[in-house]
Amino acid sequence: MDTITNQTGLFVLLLLFSAGALGSLVLRKHDALSNEWSGLFSIAGSLWGLFFALSVIITGHDVSFAVETAFSPLFSLAFHIDRLSAFFIFVVSLIALFSSVYGIGYVKHFYKTYSIGVLGLFYNLFIAAMLLVVSASNGIFFLIAWEIMSVTSYFLVVYDRNDEGNIKAGFLYLIMTHAGTAFIILSFLLFYKYTGSFDFETVRANAALIPLTVKNAVFLLALIGFGTKAGIVPFHIWLPGAHPAAPSHVSALMSGVMIKTGIYMLIRIFLGMLQPVPIWWGLTVLAAGSVSSLLGVLYALTEHDIKRLLAYHSIENIGIILLGLGSALTFSSLGMPSLALLGLIAALFHILNHAVFKSLLFLSAGSVINETHTRNMEEYGGLIRFMPQTAFFFLVGAMAISALPPFNGFFSEWLTFQSLFKGIAVPDFSAKWMFILAAGALAFTGGLALACFVKAFGATFLARPRSPEVAHAKESRLTLRAAMGALAALSFLFGICSGYLIPFLESIGRDLDAFRNTPSFVSVSPEQSITAGGGFASVSAPAFLFIFIAVFIIVSFTVKYLINRSQRVKIGETWDCGTDLTPRMEITATGFARSIILIFKGVLKPSIQKEIEYNDSRSRYLPKTRTVILGISDVYGSYVYKPLREMITRLSLRTKDIQSGNINVYISYIFIALVIALFWVL
Amino acid sequence: MSIMALRLLLGIIFLTVVFLHLTKKNSGAVIAYSVQSLAIVLVLFNSFLETGRVSLLFVTLLAFVVKVILAPLFFVRLIKKNGLRFSVSTYLNIPLTLIIIAAITAMAHSQKLAPLVNIVPANHALLSLALSAMFLSLGLIINRKGALSQIIGILSFENSIIVFAVFAGLEQSPALQAGIMFDLFVWLVIATVFMSMIYRHFGSLDVTSMRHLKD
Repeated sequence: MDTITNQTGLFVLLLLFSAGALGSLVLRKHDALSNEWSGLFSIAGSLWGLFFALSVIITGHDVSFAVETAFSPLFSLAFHIDRLSAFFIFVVSLIALFSSVYGIGYVKHFYKTYSIGVLGLFYNLFIAAMLLVVSASNGIFFLIAWEIMSVTSYFLVVYDRNDEGNIKAGFLYLIMTHAGTAFIILSFLLFYKYTGSFDFETVRANAALIPLTVKNAVFLLALIGFGTKAGIVPFHIWLPGAHPAAPSHVSALMSGVMIKTGIYMLIRIFLGMLQPVPIWWGLTVLAAGSVSSLLGVLYALTEHDIKRLLAYHSIENIGIILLGLGSALTFSSLGMPSLALLGLIAALFHILNHAVFKSLLFLSAGSVINETHTRNMEEYGGLIRFMPQTAFFFLVGAMAISALPPFNGFFSEWLTFQSLFKGIAVPDFSAKWMFILAAGALAFTGGLALACFVKAFGATFLARPRSPEVAHAKESRLTLRAAMGALAALSFLFGICSGYLIPFLESIGRDLDAFRNTPSFVSVSPEQSITAGGGFASVSAPAFLFIFIAVFIIVSFTVKYLINRSQRVKIGETWDCGTDLTPRMEITATGFARSIILIFKGVLKPSIQKEIEYNDSRSRYLPKTRTVILGISDVYGSYVYKPLREMITRLSLRTKDIQSGNINVYISYIFIALVIALFWVL
Repeated sequence: MSIMALRLLLGIIFLTVVFLHLTKKNSGAVIAYSVQSLAIVLVLFNSFLETGRVSLLFVTLLAFVVKVILAPLFFVRLIKKNGLRFSVSTYLNIPLTLIIIAAITAMAHSQKLAPLVNIVPANHALLSLALSAMFLSLGLIINRKGALSQIIGILSFENSIIVFAVFAGLEQSPALQAGIMFDLFVWLVIATVFMSMIYRHFGSLDVTSMRHLKD
């Protein structure tokens, strides 16, 4: 393994994706060939990435080197891959592997419509850029990688450019991501001002030179900058539009992995570079996590666009990850490193789990959309008969994201809960209440997520088809099913094997200076029972597996018995005038969520529009059809971004007055600037 | 050449700038510019006599050809071709212009700018006057509405920079001087062509007519 954990190993990794990108572009005139080339190299790159990352995690050998450039002594192509970076490389590679397998089959429906070569170019560059982002250790180099990641993902979002909505979503994404980058640049400039370097290692070594007020400013700038990419509320507005707009295998990467790069940098800066940190940092992150998780799931409930629903769940899950990270920061400030490590493990485990099940859900949704040609869940229904395997994979993903045992989502949320519960016992009053609120928010989120996926699965796969397209749907291609199947298996395995994974995650956490030699708060018994805090709480994956199998068998046999038992034919009064069952009699996704939406109407601000069509417009006694349109007003757009946009527009118009079109005025500006400069300098 | 003679030349340069502020006729502005350029050439020639550098003589000759002969000829031709006898109005009237000139000259002589004009302590007064000429040339561009007088203002600004550089002891760099000359020559040609085009398009050289170009 040592032969891989060096700069050659990293270059091979980047080379494979670069070859995939360039080769795909060269072969752009041959759709099939270009697709296969792109897929082949991204699969090879992902496999190499997995191998490389696992080697670094297992051996603990950091890969660190810098290629000096002639541009400036401040800028170098500096890489530093420790266990934390390797963990993120692992996550990126894992999801890229299955997305690429899926993409080989999925991309075929774009043949003759869009350039497959261009898709392959941006797809491979996008993955390579994400790998660079988590490997870079120079601020300027990081920003270049960050920008490549943003721009390539933008081109992937607008790939299906015939849909005007996609162009708008891409534009909003581009604006938001660059606004976020501006905050990141400011935070790096503050680092440079006080440490004289953009190198992350130098900044970490000289963090004591940074005054506390400047550290606080860096915290806020980084939280906004990286939080925008991660999709933290209220900087999330780009996410529900951009993720659904991209091709589904790209959506899986964006939602499963790209947003985590923001979390990576939050961990790197807050826990790696700026320790020790004030307690309010952790409390702020906890508050942001609580709000994001709760609002994310509430907005998901209101959606009937399947991909937007999943995108909102990404916001929810980023919130859950932030609850773990916020706990880690708070405990770290309170001098409780073991509990801080527990919070970090919870966050890292949920990062991995969310990447797996969210990718699975996006790929399943992509398969459904591919067959039905719509993202509107109200037009689905009964797909389980036409796409049984896809339905099964979606169900696994839905159970995992709803934190149902024995799937992986349960175990990372369980760890997060333990972290929050232990926080309630801390002596600090404000921290105690913040932990109580965060635990409440997480409990609420879990319940609502389950309700949301009951809605999503029921409306999509159960009951009867609500549109002709559904009746013509066919099961997905083999490569699509293979990718979804593998991710479903991983959702199951990561849950069952959580006892094996936790020590690995602990070793990643202990790689950070703040947690070196920190004793573990979590113990794993030989029977794979996970215990937190010396008996405070425990959970056993094998026991859950046993219960799950037992319940599955009992329920299956019971249902089978009930269906197959000899039933008497009853003859009685006809009902509903004897009409046949039709899809119109089903409960819709909107109808299902309506009661919950109305409970939270103070937050969601729903708008209900009712339309009635009568058989006879003069005598309004016999309605022909009734339509209820349930909408959600864009609170952030109305109260945050619209006023902001109007203010910027007004400011721009004022600024335009400076551009008077008069040469004399322009020369006056020069003259005034010259005089001010002279008086300033001399 | 004695320091008195140099002072006299610099005084001429300064007064030509003031005259450019006051004159209403384009021909008067061109004559003033010619006189100013001639004074610059004499200052450069004096530098050549003091240093004996041939390259400086070349620069002096080039400046004479471009600034004293070619540039005024260009302007005279332009005036005749387009019938531009009178310069268009100014933003400020004459009394206010004189007040501004006094204020700018005082500013250039202020203690705050002393480090700049003390580069060569012996030429302190001359450098202050050259700095005044620079500021006044900029003021000329700002105050005038006519494109022709604005261009003369820019050329006057360049002359002021050259004279400042000479008295600051920077004339030793022929490459710098040649660069300035070359830049001046090219600029002159472009400006003339540009002005002809503006006149053809707008029928006027009044820059206020070009305002709608900003959109």
